Amino acid sequence: MRHSALDLSVGLFLLIGIVALSWMSIKLGRVEWLGGGGYAVTADFPSVGGLKAGSAVEIAGVEIGRVDSITLGKDYQAQVRMTIRPKVTLQDDSIASIKTKGLIGERYIRISPGGSEKIIPPNGRIKEVEAPVDFEELLSKYVFGKV
Amino acid sequence: MLVAAPESRAGVPTDHLKGAIDRVVRTLEDPALKGADKATERRRAVRKVANDVFDFGEIARRSLARHWQPLTEQQRAEFVMLFADLLERSYISKIELYGGEKILYTGERTDGDLATVSTKIITRNGTEVPIDYRLLKRGDRWLVYDVNIEGVSLVSNYRTQFNKIIQTASYADLVQKMRTKQDDLVSQDQGRTTKTTPTKK
Repeated sequence: MRHSALDLSVGLFLLIGIVALSWMSIKLGRVEWLGGGGYAVTADFPSVGGLKAGSAVEIAGVEIGRVDSITLGKDYQAQVRMTIRPKVTLQDDSIASIKTKGLIGERYIRISPGGSEKIIPPNGRIKEVEAPVDFEELLSKYVFGKV
Repeated sequence: MLVAAPESRAGVPTDHLKGAIDRVVRTLEDPALKGADKATERRRAVRKVANDVFDFGEIARRSLARHWQPLTEQQRAEFVMLFADLLERSYISKIELYGGEKILYTGERTDGDLATVSTKIITRNGTEVPIDYRLLKRGDRWLVYDVNIEGVSLVSNYRTQFNKIIQTASYADLVQKMRTKQDDLVSQDQGRTTKTTPTKK
């Protein structure tokens, strides 16, 4: 009797542990539950710095999508493919910039919406881009550059 | 259809841009236009070239982004003028510091009616400053609509600032701010030209 109560509590504890672990891995791994709707757009950057698949795409600090993949495109440019939420429309002259959260935080894509009447269609391309600013490179250039 | 001249591998956008930059450099190096007392003439000459190669209307439209739509034709014209003045005033003073830096044309990419011309300015102490120009085709001319210095876009910079001002205050406020900035820069310029002695050869 006492023995089985102990068994039960250990089992329950294990179950809670497993649930907590799977919840954590889903949260941390940013697994989309429902396959994630939305449409794909691409952007070619001269360099992506530390941007990774899964990085956030934001407008005004609000997440509107995620980076799907980063591949080497033509002219040795980095081609970033991202999924944008279906309700968000991006104008033809929107600018995609790779920014850093804080001074040394993770990289994300910030989109500043344009004013054009043309809307980027699904599988379209954001033509205006800003590469990430490499602080180390800038520092070495302007601080140590004067030889 | 574009037919590139056989001797220029670079292509039409680079040729257009290079022509304009060469004209600016020639103007700045023209002995007849040197010295503080020639500042106004020199500026006028540089402005003329700038008006030929920059599409200020497009730069203004892109910088205002969605706040451009509700404006009337008259407001748009006024804004383009104010913005062009602001850009010219804030950048011409920097262009005037030019002292024989080397300008390299490192690449060009065209994509339909848009093109990117990559350049590098090599300063006297050897620092390379990458400047990319974004151009668009208007008729048979290529005009600059964005400048990317060290990866930072001019349009993006102004778009963020304008958006912030319009959202926290109003469009009228922005125009007011630009007018006062313009007046400030004008008076600053006048102060500088009277103060500086023509030490430059």
